[in-house]
Amino acid sequence: MIRIATFDPYEEKQLKRLCEILYTAFAVGTEHSSNVRLPEGFAEPYEAARLLEEAPRVHAYADDKVLFLTSKKLKDRALPSGSAPTNGLSKYAGEKAIITTSVVKDLEQGMKTVARHALHQLGHTWELHHCLDPRCAMYPTWTPSFPQGEPIFCPFCRDRSDQKIRLAKS
Amino acid sequence: MSAPSPQIPFAVGDRVVYPNQGVCRVFGVEAKEVAGQKLTFLTMKREEDGAVVMVPQAKVQSVGLRKVASAQEVEKVYTFLRSDSDKADLDWKQRARTNAGRMAQGGILGLAEVVKGLQVLSELRPLPNKERELYDNARHLLVSEISVALGIPEHDAEDSVDVILFPVGRERPKRTAAEFKAPGGDEEMGIGEDMIDLESPEMEIPAEVPEAPEEETTEEALALPKVEGPPTKARLSDEEVTVTQTTGSGLVPQGKPPLKRKRGRPPKPKPAEKAHAAPKKRGRPPKAKPLVEVHVPKKRGRPPKAKAKKK
Ligand SMILES: [Zn+2]
Ligand SMILES: [Zn+2]
Repeated sequence: MIRIATFDPYEEKQLKRLCEILYTAFAVGTEHSSNVRLPEGFAEPYEAARLLEEAPRVHAYADDKVLFLTSKKLKDRALPSGSAPTNGLSKYAGEKAIITTSVVKDLEQGMKTVARHALHQLGHTWELHHCLDPRCAMYPTWTPSFPQGEPIFCPFCRDRSDQKIRLAKS
Repeated sequence: MSAPSPQIPFAVGDRVVYPNQGVCRVFGVEAKEVAGQKLTFLTMKREEDGAVVMVPQAKVQSVGLRKVASAQEVEKVYTFLRSDSDKADLDWKQRARTNAGRMAQGGILGLAEVVKGLQVLSELRPLPNKERELYDNARHLLVSEISVALGIPEHDAEDSVDVILFPVGRERPKRTAAEFKAPGGDEEMGIGEDMIDLESPEMEIPAEVPEAPEEETTEEALALPKVEGPPTKARLSDEEVTVTQTTGSGLVPQGKPPLKRKRGRPPKPKPAEKAHAAPKKRGRPPKAKPLVEVHVPKKRGRPPKAKAKKK
């Protein structure tokens, strides 16, 4: 199950739409589980890795994934080879992911883009790596074409995530 | 649990890379009887999933077991990824050989070469499924080693590779065939067939190569979703040196004939391929059909598939 936890207020109908898109992508039940409080000591742009680490616990079962949403910006990460623009983050094979909805001005119109980021980060939690196909949500998120794409996976990534999900459910 | 012997250049607790298997942690030396022979094994646990990997002492060198790359070596990987390096061979067979050699040798730079070579090739045309899988396997091994080498999380390790391969703010270029090496061109890779043959014993890929080898070696076959043949993975070749068992993560049932499994397997260039070198023209295979179909259990390099129905 995918549990969405929000750091900021969102309209229920938007969250519902996001749940529907995620359900379609992963065939895994998705719900808005809770609003959570931002831990102490965070100022925008948030440090995504630390926020994931310190985020309040969300009631979840083994194999559930928790997707945190914030409307605030996330801070770019300094990596050994350069700086990575950061609109979301998740631990590879982990259970938590975070995305910022600040990538779109209007959530109503930009839901697909937000959902594409959600697919990407959740995809990493199901052990997907980045993909070569620009149409796929596992394409690197900082590419100019990423926001224009659909919230879908290419057949290869879809197959891989299906395998992982089936395995987790068995 | 005893300490490694002098012939084994690793100490308990060392993190080592086993080509095609990934990063493992050494935990000791164990004597075991295999097929009536008493052998001393270096035992390791693969970090990714806890699978136990055992290598006979005498094979430690030949399988290419090595220490995890240093930070300097990772820096060299980044430099290589940034460079305008040689393009992959357009001849798929040559390419498959070259990449299989790189995977079998297991050096971190070799992994980067596979990833970058296929990535650049994909800027000319989509990769056949087999190579798409190889790309993912090589990427996985590369990312996990960078993560261990630099002590950074895997997502940062992957992004550190990709801010180079997919530069921020730019779309990837479209390539033309002219930029690539013409088929049958120079052999700068220097990975000859003998070399592949040498590697073969270690690359016991029974699990992933269905016994219809000839088809398997055509580019056409490369592009098609694998048809699972009868399970052959349990077979132990005479030369078998590796035993993987599971501890905890349910990978390989104990008591089954030992087998080596991993992610990150190169398509095996079969020696038989030589005899078939001529056939099947190169060129785009008939479009790989989008395979959203379910792969049954033993797909290479992945944990045994659960058959449970979705949902
Ligand atoms: Zn990513
Ligand atoms: Zn993909």
